[in-house]
Amino acid sequence: MTKKIDVHHVTRVEGHGNIVVNIDGGVVKDCRFDVIETPRFFEAMLRGRPYLEASHITSRICGICSTGHTTASLRASETALGVELTEQTILLRKLVFHGEILDSHLLHVYMLVAPDFLGVGSVIPLATTHRDVVLRALRMKKLAGDICVVVAGRHTHPIAMTVGGFTHFPTAAELMDLREQLIACRADVDATVDLCSTLPWPKFERDTEYVSLTKPDEYAFIDGEIKTSDGYRMPIENYKDVTNEYLVQHSSAKWTRHKRESLMVGALARFNNNYDQLHPRAKAAAEKLGIKPKVTNPYLNTAAQVVEVVHCVEDAILIIDQLLTKGIKFEKPTPVDLGKIGSNGCDGVGACEVPRGILIHQYWIGQDGILTGANCIIPTNQNIANLEADMKALVPQIMEKPVDAMRLDLEMLVRAYDPCISCSVHVMKVEKKS
Amino acid sequence: MGDDGAGIEAVRLLAESTLPENVFVQEAGTPGWGLVEWIKGWPSVVIVDAINMGLKPGEWRRLDTSEVRLIATQGDLSLHDSGLASGLALAQALDLLPDRITFYGIEPESIDHGMVLSPSVNANLPRLVESLRTEFAM
Repeated sequence: MTKKIDVHHVTRVEGHGNIVVNIDGGVVKDCRFDVIETPRFFEAMLRGRPYLEASHITSRICGICSTGHTTASLRASETALGVELTEQTILLRKLVFHGEILDSHLLHVYMLVAPDFLGVGSVIPLATTHRDVVLRALRMKKLAGDICVVVAGRHTHPIAMTVGGFTHFPTAAELMDLREQLIACRADVDATVDLCSTLPWPKFERDTEYVSLTKPDEYAFIDGEIKTSDGYRMPIENYKDVTNEYLVQHSSAKWTRHKRESLMVGALARFNNNYDQLHPRAKAAAEKLGIKPKVTNPYLNTAAQVVEVVHCVEDAILIIDQLLTKGIKFEKPTPVDLGKIGSNGCDGVGACEVPRGILIHQYWIGQDGILTGANCIIPTNQNIANLEADMKALVPQIMEKPVDAMRLDLEMLVRAYDPCISCSVHVMKVEKKS
Repeated sequence: MGDDGAGIEAVRLLAESTLPENVFVQEAGTPGWGLVEWIKGWPSVVIVDAINMGLKPGEWRRLDTSEVRLIATQGDLSLHDSGLASGLALAQALDLLPDRITFYGIEPESIDHGMVLSPSVNANLPRLVESLRTEFAM
């Protein structure tokens, strides 16, 4: 048996990655996920820039996770500079973060994954065959974007978020309007769960180390500790103990591993590690979708995203209720005292759970408030080794299928990870072979 | 990305003057599929952006949909989500396209990393915006 699969590039993911599988004489000779994006140089761009610009620059790493990058960036600067946040700032950041998680998950579930199950090549033919489904997706995405506009000033690349707080505040009327829309959105959320509970998720199991942030009192999206399903816990400052970035020849994105050959971050990891803290309606959705921790089928990452959609809608309503009860106040951002920085400068780590998993920013800041160094570790980086390990486990199980069916199974596996390949690409050192 | 910011700068310039009440100006960013929600329900939509038209840097054109063909591809510069052409194609498939779509395009000089417009685009953008104001006033 000889089979060759070369998907160049996988569609309906962010960025460029290739699936390469060669089977010769019934033996798998190659099974790779090549990442061929060019490096982005964002960390180098940050050097020499004032800390107040860092969140606006790094927001541009991603047009989908711009709030996530902004949040990780602000938390890195704030930790380095010893800036404390008010309760209102923390609530507003959680609210806008939910908006972005919703926007990204809905894009993935409806626009990128659903076409595979509904037998079409993209969302455009879906608009003709399943018009109501597409309109529902757009309606929900619009609300997610509106949350970002109301809280952070615009849909993508937030403008009102700054070190120590916000520069603009939503009015009570705007929050009440969002609340009404979120309540009305429950019907669309239920319809999303119903639709996804009927999808024939491919059968495949491979246990791995699931890594996420965790907090004692809530389903963690911003700050917290690092938790792994193998029982490890560590403060986010020790992130390098879990990421251990390394290079492989066929990827311009760095790979990561902890104690096993690979690890998985993202909605499924969060679901597995922090299930108990999901909103009751989200737990009910999980039951309807037929998932309960520990889920070891990576295709169900998309189902875990649907659970998080339910959680974020419900939690956004609760956050708005808290903000309205306390009353929105105009607050100046917490001031920064650069005089406290020692002659060696300072550094800080910021971490949050963006749609695809843990995002880490670490900054080094000098006495003049200028960044002297930066490190950004993106979730897709952390997942690529795991994705390829899944491919290597899956291919022998499906190699009797026709090539087209194998290719679809592999493409769907890649899409299940919702990879943001462009973001994952890092600068690497290139040395001439001796 | 240098002159890729021409549209955002045009929005800023437009905001400096009073516009008719039935005109709504929006900095759209990179809305992708979400473009549908922004354009539906409007009889006429004007899109302003840097466009590769093969002209001299800074030259600009007003184009309507009979003059241009949008090609929905995996955009070389759009790293995420879908591009303008895909958003419009989805609106068309949903039968939600406005009756009239007009493009104001300006030829970029540089779309490399950078936080300001190039001199050629910076010099000509006010004239493009003036033409927009005239169109809105009609």
